[in-house]
Amino acid sequence: MRDRNQLVLPIPPPPADSETPLVPARMVNAWVYCPRLAYLEWVEGEWADTADTVQGTRVHVRTDTPAGRLPSPEELDDVMSQVRAVTMSSDRLGVIAKMDVLHVREGVVMPVDTKKGKRPHVAAGAYEPERVQICLHGMILEDNGYEVEQGAIWYAGSRERVRVKLDEDLRTRTIEAVRELRAAAETGRRPPPLEDSPKCSKCSLAGICLPDETNLFNRGYPPRPLNPAEDPALPLYIQTVPAKLRKRGEHLVVELKEETVEVPMVEVSQVVLFGPVSVTTPALHALMREEIPVSWFSTGGWFLGHTIGTGNGNVAVREAQYKVAFDARASLSFSRELVNAKVRNSRTMLRRNWRQERGTDGKEDALTGLERIARRALQANDFQHLLGLEGEAAAIYFSHFKQLLASEAEGFEEFSFTNRNRRPPTDPVNAMFSLAYAVLARTLTTTISATGLDPYMGLYHRPRHGRPALSLDLMEPFRSIVADSAVIQVVNNGEVKLRDFASNGPACSLTSKGRKALIAAFERRLEQEATHPFFGYRVSMRRMLEVQARLLARHFQGEIPKYPHYIPR
Amino acid sequence: MAKERLYVVAYDIADQRRWSRIFKLMKGYGYWLQLSIFQCRLTARRRIEMTIRLEECMKPSEDHVLILDMGPADKIAPRVESLGKSYEAPTRKARII
Repeated sequence: MRDRNQLVLPIPPPPADSETPLVPARMVNAWVYCPRLAYLEWVEGEWADTADTVQGTRVHVRTDTPAGRLPSPEELDDVMSQVRAVTMSSDRLGVIAKMDVLHVREGVVMPVDTKKGKRPHVAAGAYEPERVQICLHGMILEDNGYEVEQGAIWYAGSRERVRVKLDEDLRTRTIEAVRELRAAAETGRRPPPLEDSPKCSKCSLAGICLPDETNLFNRGYPPRPLNPAEDPALPLYIQTVPAKLRKRGEHLVVELKEETVEVPMVEVSQVVLFGPVSVTTPALHALMREEIPVSWFSTGGWFLGHTIGTGNGNVAVREAQYKVAFDARASLSFSRELVNAKVRNSRTMLRRNWRQERGTDGKEDALTGLERIARRALQANDFQHLLGLEGEAAAIYFSHFKQLLASEAEGFEEFSFTNRNRRPPTDPVNAMFSLAYAVLARTLTTTISATGLDPYMGLYHRPRHGRPALSLDLMEPFRSIVADSAVIQVVNNGEVKLRDFASNGPACSLTSKGRKALIAAFERRLEQEATHPFFGYRVSMRRMLEVQARLLARHFQGEIPKYPHYIPR
Repeated sequence: MAKERLYVVAYDIADQRRWSRIFKLMKGYGYWLQLSIFQCRLTARRRIEMTIRLEECMKPSEDHVLILDMGPADKIAPRVESLGKSYEAPTRKARII
């Protein structure tokens, strides 16, 4: 807490020049509420809507429509008038504000700000952030030559107006807040999260800010189950051809040969297209505008690329990422933990899913072998060594993978599997692995891009053109847990049969029906909830991927000392 | 998990043009059930968003929109008696076409 008894000299921030962006007044409000929130929203450009923010937009529908004209200070006469939605700035303070309503009376202007909630019952009549914001409006008006005596806040929730006196204390606090926010933006220092604050539980950015998760590392508090507004939207896959994707009003229309499927656009988190599906320009525009990425695959499941609008503009995250990636020692220590996590997770898969009826020959040997490799990975002294260990572990894991498949599965002999091969895969299980890994890499690439990280700059996987190296890095611990388990499930549940595969020379691939079944199992797996091994709360696997990506970004930026890989028990 | 609720939205719109605008708008928020009746799974955020959009399209003096809250989407099975065709509440799953 700031010591209120200490005298503060109100040093105004340096005047803004043409290079400095003006700070919106509502961001100064946010800064007083939570400095980190203001920083994330304004400096890093992060934004998430919640019911509260949308409700806020709703009460502003009227005040956002410009009405009336504000006379210049010289022309102000005794006429009473009301003006709406006036934008004004002050170079002296370096701020800009869109003011909801201005009341003009006898040559004096009173700014009125609309808030969606009810009037708070506090001594000052309104909370500090709102008072600072209205004070700022007043000061901007004064800098433009108007006379201001007081401001007011209109609480739409209880239909009450609260007057705010623009006294010296409030002005000092306001100037101080503007200066702090501008200084933080200039130096690029992100303020730490609030500690155990009730504000976090209703904050729309909790899922991006990760206040408790960050504090756990720095202070050792266990995280509260903050419930960030999770978007229930899910991917839309189109893998039947010929198909055409178009947009009509607020929904997407998929035109197939025999039927037409309509999907509300808000229910779609990303669009994944296999083969020659055509997309109309209006549909593509709408998808980019809504920040819904489109991933393109060839008919055979070969990954071709993404279409993402302008993407996440948070450059600071990428800068930090490159710094770590160029640091050979940091990369190596990250990679050691990564290979350790991957090997331990594949060991867990063998341990959990080993079919009883297939005997236990070799189970103990395999488990101890993997454990030893995992331990050795932590000591590896170069990347070559790590690659070798990873290969050794893969050999053990895949040679026992058939013990995880139910022997009563139809066509079991063809499904039983001995070694991993690709380019092209030569048997059904390998064909499924290839597709599942491609889909997992795609999922992670879009997740990573959304956090602002660069999916092409990896730490363990060195960058090579067209290879999403960071997605492949982040994917390692999830390969067996997500992708392999989807493969096991479709075989053991009989969701995929031998007739769902097609051979072409030595190559084996899935038919459209087989692909559909495997992708459905994969998406089901992502919906399942699991306990975060580090934070102890339960989240869906889909959200888990996002939490991990955000933690990685936090780690790159130095907020958390060590990146915790996903290693379930 | 996102908290979605199941809603039934019914409307009476006096003007044909406004009616078709609202019909198109509602397709962005839910599934068409019957003439002028939609069912939607919405989070609190989308629910408000939809209200704002509807208010923009309708004329309050002549039109009427009813939004019926059926409860949490995943926890309740709405007690619906459906005569003639069969009724199915929309579920949440990835779409693979």
